Amino acid sequence: MTTITLNRFGTLVAFVLLCVGFAIAAPQAFASQANVFNLIQQMATLAIVATAATLVMTIGEFDLSVGFSASLAAVICFVLFGQGYDVWLAVPIALLVGIVAGAANGVLVARFGIPSFVATLALGTILSGLAFGISGGESLFRAVPDGFKALGRGDLFGVPVLAFWIVAVLGVANFVLTQTEFGRHLRAIGGNAQAARLAGLPIVRDVIITFAAAGGLAALAGLLLAARLGSVQHTMGEPLLLPAYAAVFIGTTASPTGTPTVAGTLLGVAITGVLVNGMTIVGVEPFIQRILTGVIIIVAVLLRRIGRSAA
Amino acid sequence: MLELFGITKRFGATHALEDVSLSLLEGEVLGLVGHNGAGKSTLIKIIAGAETPDSGEIRVDGQKLHFHSPHDAYAAGIRVIHQDAPLVPSFDAVENCFLGRPYPRHLGRIDRKAMRAAIASVAQEIAPGLPLDVPVALLSPTERQFVRLLRAVADKGRMLILDEPTAALPAEDAETFYDVLARTRDRGTSIMLVSHRLDEIATFCGRAVVLRDGRVVAEHKGAELTVGNLIRSMGGGDAPVVHREAAAGTAPVALEIKGLRTSELRQPISLQVGAGEVVALYGLAGSGRSHLLNAIWGAEPVRSGTMRLDGAAYAPRSPRDAVRAGVSYIPADRHRSGLFANLDLVFNKTLPLLSSYRGVAALPIPDRRAERSAFLVAAERVSMAFNSPAQMARTLSGGNQQKLIFSRWANRHSKVMLLDEPTEGIDVMAKATIKEIISAIAADGDAVLVSTSDRDEALQLGDRIAVFRNGAIVKIFTRAEASPEALSAAAQAREPALT
Repeated sequence: MTTITLNRFGTLVAFVLLCVGFAIAAPQAFASQANVFNLIQQMATLAIVATAATLVMTIGEFDLSVGFSASLAAVICFVLFGQGYDVWLAVPIALLVGIVAGAANGVLVARFGIPSFVATLALGTILSGLAFGISGGESLFRAVPDGFKALGRGDLFGVPVLAFWIVAVLGVANFVLTQTEFGRHLRAIGGNAQAARLAGLPIVRDVIITFAAAGGLAALAGLLLAARLGSVQHTMGEPLLLPAYAAVFIGTTASPTGTPTVAGTLLGVAITGVLVNGMTIVGVEPFIQRILTGVIIIVAVLLRRIGRSAA
Repeated sequence: MLELFGITKRFGATHALEDVSLSLLEGEVLGLVGHNGAGKSTLIKIIAGAETPDSGEIRVDGQKLHFHSPHDAYAAGIRVIHQDAPLVPSFDAVENCFLGRPYPRHLGRIDRKAMRAAIASVAQEIAPGLPLDVPVALLSPTERQFVRLLRAVADKGRMLILDEPTAALPAEDAETFYDVLARTRDRGTSIMLVSHRLDEIATFCGRAVVLRDGRVVAEHKGAELTVGNLIRSMGGGDAPVVHREAAAGTAPVALEIKGLRTSELRQPISLQVGAGEVVALYGLAGSGRSHLLNAIWGAEPVRSGTMRLDGAAYAPRSPRDAVRAGVSYIPADRHRSGLFANLDLVFNKTLPLLSSYRGVAALPIPDRRAERSAFLVAAERVSMAFNSPAQMARTLSGGNQQKLIFSRWANRHSKVMLLDEPTEGIDVMAKATIKEIISAIAADGDAVLVSTSDRDEALQLGDRIAVFRNGAIVKIFTRAEASPEALSAAAQAREPALT
């Protein structure tokens, strides 16, 4: 029982130790309110993309197109602004682009049986080409309405507005996965796809909806990033891909069966976020930061393995 | 060449093998037959070194040997070839034959020419037509069997134990397979053939040994070696214990199948099942039983033919359609097709009919309390033993896992219940319970189709028994007409009736 408890909460304990460590090393800089708010703003887009990855990994698939969807949605939104579109029209269109791209992934995987790794990589490449073409390869920052920038900047009740986005998106995703029939279906498909099909679940429909939701979330993340920065490059979403999956994998170490959960993913995002933020404050050089982050992911998953085989 | 003397093996109180003696001569094909549970697999494991006998002796070339591990048996030249022994799909025959063996080298590089020459010389003798340079993924299942044989023979295998080698092969190819086997034998290799296909044993073996209840009960050879004699020696086991009342003949037809064909069922199948009636589908593995169930379940496309459910047209396009129409299904191979091993018991139970556990009918949100109490009721009904509803399904014993899958449908009345190998791989006590559950399901008025490779089970459960062979129903017995011998004879190809 103790080993199981340790296993289950080991990742959480590691996170707390990490925070305490940085707080002791740099009491003023790390533990300040300004830095915590800063951290939340840095983490928000990653948390949402990682949630998209969590949904797809719950059914045992991968979506490598999330970063590209994020870029394309942001590019399209800003191009529409340039043409004088209103926020209330441009944002839904951009989100719809992400949803349609995700649904296309789902159709390729569920209907045509293409491995998700291949299908989403191919589709993601197409999306990146579109983003490049539509943006003309240039940075877009003109004619951005203030109402749009407000989606990713500023405060609400003294807390950064992005914190509310994290709570809303992860809260809904967690509710869907743990409380609804649809969430049950996803966990069943991830647990044993063949058994799920033979139990009469509509798995083609479920898989397509999952990928569509992931595409929509990726687009949302892209828009929020664009709102915070106030400008868009056609490659801006790509660096989100690897950290998002790293976060999901770290998060799986916090679940008893090694399956992804929204709470675990949030923990994974927080660990990677704090790590980078803390190391920057303490003055660790960027190249060492990256090496350490990689090492920590391997160690986390490895410890989990050892714990499980011993149990 | 290989001799066994007085081999005895116990598991707990049961004698898996008792005083088994047999010999495998140089250059012969020896058949080994017996019902499930007669001791064949234990015997194979002992010969392969995977189990050690409690007493008895193994001699190879007259020399007494102790096998402590499969490695020892391998070193003595014994090769056990399982029907689905893995090959590397992207490797060709030559590369597969050299797996796990030292590669010949030339100037430090792997010498492909020498490898190919070594394999080709053997292939020339036993399977001249086999493509050696094509990835095995592109070969037919039969050719892949040749690769397995070739691999065993090329690596100094002198005694081959083949476990159901033709089970996965199309019937047309069995003959080609046995040609290759004959040529392998002619090189002086000894072959022990374990198979349920008695006609193949009778045709291709020089001699056959029959196991029954862990003992060698007969040896047939020459003209004596016929399917009829083998069936008689294998015995009927115990007389069928009929604990089901036969269904009333006046029951309305619940499921009517007319001229049904799928890609696997090449002969049109027609069958009527009455409400409350149990029809057992009996036949060898691969005879088409499961495909019929899959077609009724909407899991396999129907090519032609029609089905009616309670008189209404029924054409399921997916298992979901079948569930909605009131059909329920328990798949064979629960680990691959039935169980969510890493999810809890309640999850496993409520999944197929999840929408019936909503707290508020309009919201697709299952009510945990309703699920839990439905689970407890269903678990009681199928007498499942468990510690907690929250435990993971994989922590249950095989019999309880199967009961868990039965419990899925326990809270509703199904029009048709489809069961595929419902007692496969579970212990005797659990088997008895499952059979009682099946009787109860029928008594409840469900039309039941049970597919089984266990002849006694077919006899015990079926009001009628449809015997499958090569993707077609060859005969439908009423309970009065059915006997163990008649079922076996009908299920075996090439010999239509016993005389």
